[in-house]
Amino acid sequence: MIICRCEEVTYGELKNTAETYNCSARELKLRTRAGMGYCGGRTCRSMVDSIAHASTERDVTQVTLKYQPPIRPVSFGSLGEITK
Amino acid sequence: MNRVIVIGAGPSGLSAAITIAENGNEVLILDEYMLAGGRLLGQLYEEENGKWWNGIKESKSLHDKAVALGIEIRLGTPVSNIEKLDGSWVIYTDEETHYTQHLLLATGAAEVPLPIPGWTLPGVMSVGAAQVMTNVHRVKPGNRGVIIGVNVLSSAIAMELKLADIDVACITLPKMNQVTKESGNPMDVMNSLLHVSHMAPSAFVKFGSKLMKNEFMKKMGITFFPKKGVKMWDIPIMLRKAVINIYGENAVEGVTIATINASGEVIEGTEENISADFVCIAGGLYPLAELAAVAGCPFYYIEELGGYVPLHNKRMETVLDGLYVAGNITGVEGAKVAISQGVTAGLAIANNLSGGKQEVEINEAIKRIEHTRDNAFIQFHPAVKEGKEKLQRYWEEYGQEVKVGVTS
Repeated sequence: MIICRCEEVTYGELKNTAETYNCSARELKLRTRAGMGYCGGRTCRSMVDSIAHASTERDVTQVTLKYQPPIRPVSFGSLGEITK
Repeated sequence: MNRVIVIGAGPSGLSAAITIAENGNEVLILDEYMLAGGRLLGQLYEEENGKWWNGIKESKSLHDKAVALGIEIRLGTPVSNIEKLDGSWVIYTDEETHYTQHLLLATGAAEVPLPIPGWTLPGVMSVGAAQVMTNVHRVKPGNRGVIIGVNVLSSAIAMELKLADIDVACITLPKMNQVTKESGNPMDVMNSLLHVSHMAPSAFVKFGSKLMKNEFMKKMGITFFPKKGVKMWDIPIMLRKAVINIYGENAVEGVTIATINASGEVIEGTEENISADFVCIAGGLYPLAELAAVAGCPFYYIEELGGYVPLHNKRMETVLDGLYVAGNITGVEGAKVAISQGVTAGLAIANNLSGGKQEVEINEAIKRIEHTRDNAFIQFHPAVKEGKEKLQRYWEEYGQEVKVGVTS
């Protein structure tokens, strides 16, 4: 069962990694690449977060999976301010 | 340059902008969608007094009011980043970069996905997508659907699909896994449903919910909950079944469901197929706070509010100078609460621009939020009030820490 569609990471892979390394959401992301594809984790973020927190305690005082700009897809043209 | 910028043209963003403009200030609204109204657009339900709440009408009236006040609204304009540079907020969109001293984030909420085997097949969508297709675009998502996830949002949308003459085969639970834990556990679902039982059209459910005040009765309720479900608007709601697979060759052809025990475990040998040409996944909502996160707001995880929320006070001010929040970004609630939060944020901004002329109105607006919350027809989380109190405590603690940090 696919969880991260962009990087094609499965539920089984995430669950095994989380259980093997007893890792934080961030570590789980870095080990599997889930949430690191071109959508920036917009679909799978909360699922990766849930799987990690099935085996580790949640830190309620900070966002576990950091948001990075751009938070919406931007073309290279717009990003580099190239006018047509 | 005193133009205020509002990101999000939903109920809170529009009402904030209206309030700011009514107090004599210029406002620009940005929204990534092609229509103003946000999630309000899809709403359509009958209230306790028998009147219908039509989101399209409500959105139009807010939009028209904003336009009449001279507010500029740019639709189809996603914001990809914000940052503070030389004392101004800088807002990046595809076409243009905007600058302001006062920025309101009214970005609303997003849907929580529930992974189920087969959920990447065409024809599987979030329940909100089915709502937007049906009520906003007037396109049928399919002829016969199955809704996975039993909650306030999914039952309201099931009724809307029914109104549009779309067949809903059933509303049922997802198979439990590490992601679907609470949505897949009949006891947890039953608990959250008891808080909305006043909405049920069936006297049986209303009466039943009164009997289920204690844990023992709830357990009994789940154990004896009819396997075929109870019907709401003629749609079976099945708390003792779960979807274990969505099947189809190139698109959804149906789902396989199985009976589950009171704690959500599948009972083998009970599998059966239900044919459907679309499937809706209803995992609930969480505050969409990406922009507050990239801006550097402190965040707290408050389950009662739907997840991580940016720290803010009752005047809807964040700890960052000139950055405000309103609506579902501050916690998942109904549109009426969002509107009253928008008014409060709008007054706070107008007050900061005028040097303190709106103090009395702000206090009244804060009281109105609480009053609206207490009288809300739909409560997404039964303990939303406690969640707001938690947030207030975090705010006070944070203020003290900052003060200590400055003096020491």
